[in-house]
Amino acid sequence: MASVSFQNIEKTFGTTKVIHGISFDIHDGEFMVLVGPSGCGKSTLLRMLAGLEEISGGTIAIDGRAVNDVDSKDRDIAMVFQSYALYPHMTVRDNMGFSLKLRKANPAVITERVTKAAKILNLDPYLERYPRELSGGQRQRVAMGRAIVRDPKVFLFDEPLSNLDAKLRVQMRSEIKALHQRLKTTTVYVTHDQIEAMTMADRIVVMHDGRVEQIGEPLDLYDKPDNLFVAQFIGSPAMNVVNGSLRRSNGHAYVECGSVNWPIPPGPGADGQAVALGVRPEHLALAGAGRESVPGEIIVVEPTGAETELLVQVGDAQITLVTTGRPNVNPGEKVGLAIDPGAAHLFDAKSGQRLATA
Amino acid sequence: MKRALTEARLLLIGIPVAIWTLLPIYHLFLFSISTKDEAFSGRLWPEHPTLRNFSIVFHQEHYFLNHFWEQLWNSLVIAVAVGFLTLFIAASAAFAISRLKTRGGRTILNFALFTYFIPAAFLAVPMYKAMGTYGLLNHQSALILAMVTIAAPYAIWVLKQASDKLPYELDEAAKIDGASPLQLFRLVYLPLMAPSLVAVGTYALLLAWNEYLYAFLLLSKDTNITLPVALGHFLSADDSPWELLMTTGLIYALPPAAIYYTFKRYMVSGLTSGAVKS
Repeated sequence: MASVSFQNIEKTFGTTKVIHGISFDIHDGEFMVLVGPSGCGKSTLLRMLAGLEEISGGTIAIDGRAVNDVDSKDRDIAMVFQSYALYPHMTVRDNMGFSLKLRKANPAVITERVTKAAKILNLDPYLERYPRELSGGQRQRVAMGRAIVRDPKVFLFDEPLSNLDAKLRVQMRSEIKALHQRLKTTTVYVTHDQIEAMTMADRIVVMHDGRVEQIGEPLDLYDKPDNLFVAQFIGSPAMNVVNGSLRRSNGHAYVECGSVNWPIPPGPGADGQAVALGVRPEHLALAGAGRESVPGEIIVVEPTGAETELLVQVGDAQITLVTTGRPNVNPGEKVGLAIDPGAAHLFDAKSGQRLATA
Repeated sequence: MKRALTEARLLLIGIPVAIWTLLPIYHLFLFSISTKDEAFSGRLWPEHPTLRNFSIVFHQEHYFLNHFWEQLWNSLVIAVAVGFLTLFIAASAAFAISRLKTRGGRTILNFALFTYFIPAAFLAVPMYKAMGTYGLLNHQSALILAMVTIAAPYAIWVLKQASDKLPYELDEAAKIDGASPLQLFRLVYLPLMAPSLVAVGTYALLLAWNEYLYAFLLLSKDTNITLPVALGHFLSADDSPWELLMTTGLIYALPPAAIYYTFKRYMVSGLTSGAVKS
């Protein structure tokens, strides 16, 4: 177990700078998820930590020791790849024991550790099989087994669930989480799937274009996104965002957005300021016409059973609304939308930075 | 219906091709079971088929066949040596170029392939000179080195193409698992390349087995030449024993055929793998 620290990490490929001075710390035993759209540099960052990519600038330290010039094999890390990267010509047992064999460990010790890891991962019936004889989920578990056997300071996961089907992904998600709770090994997990990030992480690093947008606990990111990018990236369905001007008069505030005025609670921001108003789909409710709501017309009704998702045309914008239960509405119907008190997010239109929770 | 038509067309092409290729081999076989007098009779099957020719060859009962077993052994030793040496060189080079991404690797590969622009026959004299300079003439290692030189560029290229297709994550996984480049080569790369290695090894082996020109130039003692060169000597007499020449030729053709059929699966997939980007 160990802490990991990134200090002013930079990465350039040729003349292209892909990571622009990233700094953050991962605590001992923490499950840290790096999340962001493809090309944001999250995998590159992980690969630098793994020693598979040169570090162009800055320092990476594991347990306080700078590892910039340390070989992968001496960093005491284990990595699980998206494609599993199991050795096709070795049995599950040999795959899992390979690293120990290279370290010239005592064969009895290897057997013992492999058996123990296999038991944790329910792989004991498959130890003598080859990777090609296993299902996707089993291969994924072997890849994790290979990491566990090492008993490393840090586990690295590079989009480990992307190759699995939806159902298996959910199952493996819980397994990895349970495994972490059992082993308490510091873990760095890269994914582009914000749901994976939300459900698994102790803390999340949201990355975009080689920069860190925000670091925090999953629900903090959800409740108080620092900027528009995080607001729209975290949460599904995504947060509704409309652009307009902030208006204040007589103690009332609203966002003027074309012909529509979105009422918001009083808060920061100057009269006339260009803002982006963000509202999560579940923080909108159907309401009658009135001063505290905006008029709209229903376009699509999508019942999922427990919830109903509505797409509503409001002025020029299409707004998504999620409500529990089964409202009796039909496409074409005129409705009013009201924002839950305290649930509106205001961002500066130009910088995209959060003004404050209005 | 359409399938039958396609089949018929294939047969229409296949049968002439089969006859075309098999006819010389049939004659080879015909000579080998005929007596000298009958060999040129023009019949499609001899009146008195005989295995006498084989007996003569195996018992070395003719002037030209005095060293038959020794020469066959020379062929074998040289072919196997060329096969393994080519494999060693080509696998190491392909590993360095394709997996370790050694700087300049591609350039070297291109240079090596460039040598194929010059016909091997033109290189024979310079090669003879070079071997003479190193004092290797008349020594089997001269032929082995020459054949490795000829086989290696193609072998490297084929193996490089094949190793490009191995997932790169395997190397990274091994690296993190603690493998040195040499361990990666031995424990991960070679086992996964086995089918291609078999194909390339067989290619080099057969190339050396069938070589005449270089063998003729670089070796000259009766006891160290390969069988193809010895067969060439048959023609130096006014009255060539054609039936024995053909019998020996048939015997000489059998091991390659056996090797080919044993490794057919690897040959086809190995030599064509990586030919096109899939």
